[in-house]
Amino acid sequence: MQNFTRRKVLALGAVGVAMPWVTRASAQERKITVAAYSDIFEDIYKRTVIEPFMKANPGIRVDYMGMPTSAQNLGMLRAQKAAPQIDVCIMDVVVAKAGGDEGIYKPVTAEQLPVMKQLVPAALIEGVPGPAVTFDTIVMMYALSKFPTPPTSWKELWNKQHAGRIAIDAPPNLLGVGLTLIANKLAGGGDYRQSIDKGIQLLGEMAPLVQTWDPKPNPYAAVANGVVDLGIGYNARAQTISKQNADRMAVAMPEEGSIAQINTINLVNGSKQPEAALQFMSYALSAEAQATFTEALYYVPTNKGAAISEEARKKTAATPERMARMIDVDWIEVAKFRDKITEQWRRNVISRS
Amino acid sequence: MTVSTADEGTRSSGGRLLITLLLPIVLLNVIAFIAPVANLVAMSFREATATGSMKEGVDLATWSSLVADTYYWSMLWRTVWIGALITLITLVLSYPLALFVSRAERAKALLIVLCISPLLISAVVRTYGWMVILGDQGFLQALLRSFNVTPPRLINSQLGVVIGMTEILMPYMILSLLSGFGKLDTTLEQAAETLGAGPLTVFRRIVLPLSMPGVLLGCLLCFVLAVSSFITPKMLGGGRVALLATEIYDQAIVTLNWPVAACLSVLILVVFGTALLFYGQLSKIVE
Repeated sequence: MQNFTRRKVLALGAVGVAMPWVTRASAQERKITVAAYSDIFEDIYKRTVIEPFMKANPGIRVDYMGMPTSAQNLGMLRAQKAAPQIDVCIMDVVVAKAGGDEGIYKPVTAEQLPVMKQLVPAALIEGVPGPAVTFDTIVMMYALSKFPTPPTSWKELWNKQHAGRIAIDAPPNLLGVGLTLIANKLAGGGDYRQSIDKGIQLLGEMAPLVQTWDPKPNPYAAVANGVVDLGIGYNARAQTISKQNADRMAVAMPEEGSIAQINTINLVNGSKQPEAALQFMSYALSAEAQATFTEALYYVPTNKGAAISEEARKKTAATPERMARMIDVDWIEVAKFRDKITEQWRRNVISRS
Repeated sequence: MTVSTADEGTRSSGGRLLITLLLPIVLLNVIAFIAPVANLVAMSFREATATGSMKEGVDLATWSSLVADTYYWSMLWRTVWIGALITLITLVLSYPLALFVSRAERAKALLIVLCISPLLISAVVRTYGWMVILGDQGFLQALLRSFNVTPPRLINSQLGVVIGMTEILMPYMILSLLSGFGKLDTTLEQAAETLGAGPLTVFRRIVLPLSMPGVLLGCLLCFVLAVSSFITPKMLGGGRVALLATEIYDQAIVTLNWPVAACLSVLILVVFGTALLFYGQLSKIVE
């Protein structure tokens, strides 16, 4: 009791009197949570998009929740459907479509988000609640020590010299699904909506050369660590990891072209701060944020006005010649027969390895 | 009359005490086990669309497509036999070790700690260790090559899964066996020896039968853990070893087909229930 000096009692009283103002001040700060990919994406997205946004909007605090996959991202929101703790999700277009169909995401319009008018037409996908925020492509990664000259064709995956030294993420992983469509084109299989049989047959011929259909921790590390000579992955991550391992790994964008992967940005239905969430989405889609992010992680921007350096452009699929070679894929259509592709792989591809 | 009322009072207060004592564990079980399992069963009666979204309402479509697909039957069979094989190998390797430890006169406690110390390290870390040892550039492959032996595929294969799982489950088997050996009366063995029984006969007629409760417990534990294990098959299987647990992961996390994942989880529960029934029956025979 004797420790309670008059000064301490006065200080406590002052804190008590000031409390309502402190509470009101913190109430003025709006907080939103953005859920997107973990690892490199998280580090770079926080630095290049979230921090500048918070600096420009001191009244909004953005918390980042890193999720290993888009499906896990949606899974978390399914569990929180009655009272979502997340406001904005960045995820693969196929998963976003599933979430939109379940009413987990709220469709956004150009009236709510005027920046959508600045996006390339491919960024606005029918039936998907949010617009595309990044484009990426499937590429080959190779071990520099095994390739005196860089591989230029997907056919390198069928080269017997690499027997037991290839890592492929098999379906249902979307990388494997993408490779099926590429193989179908290589085999002259025609429209993938009609049949993928020729692609599956060609992949079956590659199967004996494959070391793993489920590289751990991921195909990038498998190539960078010399566990395999060749692997397939997404360009943005592959470019960044090859930059970190410049003496061991490099990225090849084959001459036959590749297919795009699309990440969309979505507003969660039931977000407690929809205005702040839309404000963040608007910034994330802006030319400024898109350019900064591309410079750091080599995703293709979706905003037409994003000014990116020539050096960064070379590391993306955004050059005119690469864009011309892109294989046109409707991921929403592909999602409808993803199970069939997975089944075909199990019966006719993986079983042959 | 007064005595009877007092008895009733004691009985009713005893009943209240019993309910009060049981209530927390019953509540915990309802919240942490019964409700999630009920939710799982309910989820298995829903259906996912081709794009992964879930349809509303109750439906038998997921179950009927699963039952009609031979792929899932072969996967169920593979899961059970690989689980049984791992359990058998774990038992064969652990039994002599556990017997030695239980009979050790010096440093017994230290030996027990050594046997179960792997449990202090995460299964993920231990599996990564096996990836290094069994991998193409690993110690074992190099050793086999030095003897001009062409090594088989030790990881990204069924063999890798069996090796990794056996090592991971050995501490559980050893602990179960040690508990069984604890009840073994060594004077029975001495009596058999004085009656002229050789070491093999003593083992066959005395040690083995008396250690059976521990053996059965260890087998049940290892089988259940082997069937439900996901990390090691995922990491050492290289996508070639499709088991129920890895398929549940793919369906729940990759393709978002929660109803199929729920059906497969219910199937795993049925496998566990069957194993428990076997265990119960065999325990009765052993006793």
